[in-house]
Amino acid sequence: MPERKRGVPKTSDRLGRMLAIVPYLVQHPGSALEEVATAFGVPPSQLRRDLDLLFMSGLPPYGPGDLIDVDVDEDGHIWISMADHFSRPLQLTRIEALAVFLRGTELLATPGMPDAPALGKALEKLRGSLGAEMLSEADGRIEIARGGQAPEHLDALREAARTHERLSIEYFAASTGEWSSREIEPEEVFSGMGHWYVASWDVDADAERLFRVDRVRSAVPTGETFTPRGLRGAGRDLYSPTGEDVAVRLRLRPAARWIAEYYATTDVEEQDDGGVELTLPARQLGWVARLLLRVGDDAEIVEPPELRDQVQDLARETLARYGHKA
Amino acid sequence: MGEGDRAEPLERLLNLVGLLLETPQPLTFEQIRRVLEPYGQSNPDSAKRMFERDKDVLREYGVPLELVDIDVWGTEQGYVIPKDKYYLPEIEFEPGELVALLVAAQSGGQDHAAESGARKLLYGADGGVLAGLGGGPLASGSDARSNLVHAAAEAAQELRRVRFIYRTSQGKTSERDVDAWAMVFRAGHWYLVGHDRERDDVRAFRLSRIVGEIADAGTGSSPPADFRAAHHVEAGPWVAAGDDRALVRFSPGRAWFAASQFPGAREIDTDDEGWIGMEIPMADEDAFAAMLLEYGPDAVVRSPASLRDAVVSRLEALLA
Repeated sequence: MPERKRGVPKTSDRLGRMLAIVPYLVQHPGSALEEVATAFGVPPSQLRRDLDLLFMSGLPPYGPGDLIDVDVDEDGHIWISMADHFSRPLQLTRIEALAVFLRGTELLATPGMPDAPALGKALEKLRGSLGAEMLSEADGRIEIARGGQAPEHLDALREAARTHERLSIEYFAASTGEWSSREIEPEEVFSGMGHWYVASWDVDADAERLFRVDRVRSAVPTGETFTPRGLRGAGRDLYSPTGEDVAVRLRLRPAARWIAEYYATTDVEEQDDGGVELTLPARQLGWVARLLLRVGDDAEIVEPPELRDQVQDLARETLARYGHKA
Repeated sequence: MGEGDRAEPLERLLNLVGLLLETPQPLTFEQIRRVLEPYGQSNPDSAKRMFERDKDVLREYGVPLELVDIDVWGTEQGYVIPKDKYYLPEIEFEPGELVALLVAAQSGGQDHAAESGARKLLYGADGGVLAGLGGGPLASGSDARSNLVHAAAEAAQELRRVRFIYRTSQGKTSERDVDAWAMVFRAGHWYLVGHDRERDDVRAFRLSRIVGEIADAGTGSSPPADFRAAHHVEAGPWVAAGDDRALVRFSPGRAWFAASQFPGAREIDTDDEGWIGMEIPMADEDAFAAMLLEYGPDAVVRSPASLRDAVVSRLEALLA
């Protein structure tokens, strides 16, 4: 998008909004102000101010009968007339059309996405209607590489989140490598970085927890319902640091760089050899030791020193399985 | 600027759009000045400047404000907004489709363009649609910046040649000169696929590994007829299932997780202690050995011997 002109950003934002909202209001007489405000991402008070201004606009010769007439009744319903020239919205810009298409494609690429058929059809229509100029070639040019399948208990978790039902789950914690049975109150199910997550209240821990849906082995309704706390779903950080985190400092050779892309890391410093030094916050050291067993020589532990011993112990223990003494 | 401020630019802009949409013929600035009060101010220069600024704002928002000849001799030009270019064409969406589009646009972090685009489509929605928008966004989106995703998609669509700085997964940074051919989304990542001119080969570039922006470098080239973009996107050695089969025993606690991690894994037997033997397709033996090590003492290779040796020698190297 071009840089906004200085001094007028607010006006142009409001203009763009009005050119989309007014057509909606013309087509939907009596719409509820609150609902419209939510759908168009504008605070209700701002929408009211914008509507007040609409009064002043119209067509020549701008007599009383030429101006747009807006009425917001006592119940907050909006009635609008004399705005036929705004009865259809402005065409999407190329970037808008593309952005919608790309976002839709991202969702379609995620196995287990609800409403995927509807979304697929919508994108199809969008491409058909916006035609040659905007999305003509999007067909062969923007692709989905499908991979994997939806986790087994995705639907059960989604249903429980919808009906506010407490669940009893068996969960595999990758950080400890252990299974646990817990009662959770699932609120938001969302996908991020190729995985499905459920933001929940963990009844046993009495705290908010994020669970990966593919690591849920069973999910059984308890019969109890709960009042949602408004936990955040999509858009949140997938790793939330706690006060007890150990800051694991690692120096990675290029071959182990993927760790920087795969995990939430901080204080990343590029190295001359193409490697990277970074901090990996971890609540437990167990999984980090296993990770380091995997990358071997390609990682060097800077902090904490006891992690080195842990990795060595783990290596000895593993080697013993093969009948080797070390 | 508060309510009731008479000099509201929004009002002026809305009037200008209405005027130029409805005018039967293009209007000169002088004609506009006579009709629209704010431009009628006594100082023609500042009125003209205001008009120029307004034009920019409108065009930035995609309003097709054009300057065209008024008569066939081309002696005079005027402004107009052609209706066929201004109005969104009729698209018949089912209510569920619109909701899906709007939810998609709102998913995946800040993307102003996607949201404003989807909102324009709402006007034709059936009454109940807005009430169906209660749910939150469904996804956190990819790890790439949205302006980069847009730029790459535009380049691929128009078959442009682009330049950018790329850092490989191995940490090597260099400038790439690429004919953009396609975009692929896989497992949370966007890739730009195209012809790398220097390497004279088709390459896939993960957008999150692009450093800085994508620069346009002119006209690119067309892909061959049998080009399939998704084939060029790395699946990772652990995803690609090869023809070789490994036999591995997993501890009771980890077996379920292993089965879900390795595509095509098949349970074969369970021993007295509850350890589960699994047959797993593998492509790259060395990468597979590394992955198994993340299971530590909870995974033991039975066969092939070469895989067993690979695991053992990695462990010995660690202890040396």
